[in-house]
Amino acid sequence: MSKSIDGVDEEELQALVLERNVRNFYKREADLLDDRELEQWFELIDKDIRYWMPRRLMKEHEPSEFDEDGYFFDEDFGSLKARVERFDSSYAWAERPPARVRRYVTNVVVEDWSDDELDVHSNVLVYYSQDDTEDYSLISVRREDTLRRTEDGFTIAERTIYPDHTILGISKLSTFL
Amino acid sequence: MAQSEESDVTDKVIRDVEEHLEQGKFPLQFYNDADVHELELDRIFGEKWIFVGHESEIPEPGDYARRYLGNDPFIFVRSEDGEINLLFDACRHHGAQLCRAEQGNTAHFRCPYHGWTYKNDGDLIGVPQKSAGFKNLDRDENGLFHAPRLETYNGLVFGSLAQDGPSLEEYLGGFKWYLDIQFDMVDGGMEVMGEPHRWTVDANWKTIAENFNGDSYHTAWAHGSILDLELGGEETVGGAGTGESIDRHVYVDGHTLSTRMLDEPVHLTYPDSVESLLTGDGLSDEQYDIGKRALQFVGAVFPNFGFIHFGNTTDDSAKEVCPFFSIRKWQPVGPDEMQIWSWALVPKEAPEEFKERMYKMYTASFGPSGNFEQDDVNLWEGITDSAQAQVARSENYALNYQMGMEWMTDVDIDTEWPGPGTAYTENLQEGGMRQFHEQWYESIVDGEGSER
Repeated sequence: MSKSIDGVDEEELQALVLERNVRNFYKREADLLDDRELEQWFELIDKDIRYWMPRRLMKEHEPSEFDEDGYFFDEDFGSLKARVERFDSSYAWAERPPARVRRYVTNVVVEDWSDDELDVHSNVLVYYSQDDTEDYSLISVRREDTLRRTEDGFTIAERTIYPDHTILGISKLSTFL
Repeated sequence: MAQSEESDVTDKVIRDVEEHLEQGKFPLQFYNDADVHELELDRIFGEKWIFVGHESEIPEPGDYARRYLGNDPFIFVRSEDGEINLLFDACRHHGAQLCRAEQGNTAHFRCPYHGWTYKNDGDLIGVPQKSAGFKNLDRDENGLFHAPRLETYNGLVFGSLAQDGPSLEEYLGGFKWYLDIQFDMVDGGMEVMGEPHRWTVDANWKTIAENFNGDSYHTAWAHGSILDLELGGEETVGGAGTGESIDRHVYVDGHTLSTRMLDEPVHLTYPDSVESLLTGDGLSDEQYDIGKRALQFVGAVFPNFGFIHFGNTTDDSAKEVCPFFSIRKWQPVGPDEMQIWSWALVPKEAPEEFKERMYKMYTASFGPSGNFEQDDVNLWEGITDSAQAQVARSENYALNYQMGMEWMTDVDIDTEWPGPGTAYTENLQEGGMRQFHEQWYESIVDGEGSER
């Protein structure tokens, strides 16, 4: 069955396919979020999810130091679900009108994998613009994910979002990263 | 601004505000005006007591954090003798900045430009090649500049750029009584957890100041999603003037407290795990009684300090409600921009697990991703945007803060209220905002012709 490519062994091919599948997963995820298909996005979330964003610190010597105690948010399945459902409320003014958002997911690296799970990191740049203006904000983060393999594809079991900001240059974080 | 330009702007403020203030109105244009902003920096942020931080943020000698009075950079640092200092971050030599971190610990601050070195109490102790190049330099006169005044009340450190003025305790006046309830209702007091959240909002600082000066009216509308999702109880976030809660707005010495209470002990829904710390030790019987019955408190100290100590909310309707406590300041970066600083506090003596839960509740509700706070900021940005309109100026377009004025609303004063200040029996009241406008106006007018 397997076609061989000169000089590439089976293991390398598997890694390549895995990486492609992960990148395709992230593209689909980004599309769902950009299109505000939040319920569909939430179907990608594992029941065990830990979805959190530590608070970066500016320190004199260390380039990427994060607060030991503080974070911007730290969600489990229930509290993330509440955040998703909140945007169905006609009072969720933060996204009225919905922001114009585009996510650029790059530098995807599959660090490690087993039959069940994958550890992946990626860089994400988010363009965020809202209201009757050409003004926009950029959010730049590194994501470290644990993805879980299921019959229907990957789910996100853990996501740590390391922001490149100490002072956020956006008036509110009402978009998922 | 030159003195004459400054007095032109002051005259304009007097003219444009006076016609509105008595009617409970305030001009829209002053929410986005470069000249007025300059006056505010001078006469409000250059004169009043400005919040710096909580003493628990720098517990050990050498602990420091970068902070601002107005927009002036300072180093908030505990020196080797345990004293708290607020040092202007500009080398006495050529003005380079010494602090290159949001926080840390150091015995010395060394200037990267020419190497002048200061102890963490600001004393100059090192000048490279001093004997050859600066042989007559007086070290005593060349220490880092200390904020003219620095005082602490119940862990809250405030600084002032003014040499003279009321002490912090005189300035807070009767509001201390209400601060005590927040900080001492759980035995052992409160401490800051984590670093403050900081984010910029394209809005004038007065918009959020008003919000913290008793805007109970906005809660059910601006934060209606909380009720929709059952993330907060009707008594806590429902419409002002409705429901079973006993609501009070208290105006005291220029500062505002609003509260919703029940006629039974609820202790802001602090859970059983901290029940043993709710003895009221450190509070008077009257303070304890208010704290015991309260579901929520919101407060503001003029000009730019606020707090929100809330119970009866959750991050997930399937979970128990839990309180959170945030203190914050709004830094007046520009006429149309502020930086919000927001700290989370937790009871010092509470079990670790509860502290973590309370911190999480803070992030679920407030801070840049809070389910409440997300929905406020667009509104404040919109006010600031409209404020730059030509119509705002040509019409001296005024905003309405008349709710709670006698001819507009049936108001009663709670004559039995045990605390300082005037307590109104309803929260359909915008008196805290009117008081804020009066304070603002007096600060601008009183500051005219001052030496600074």
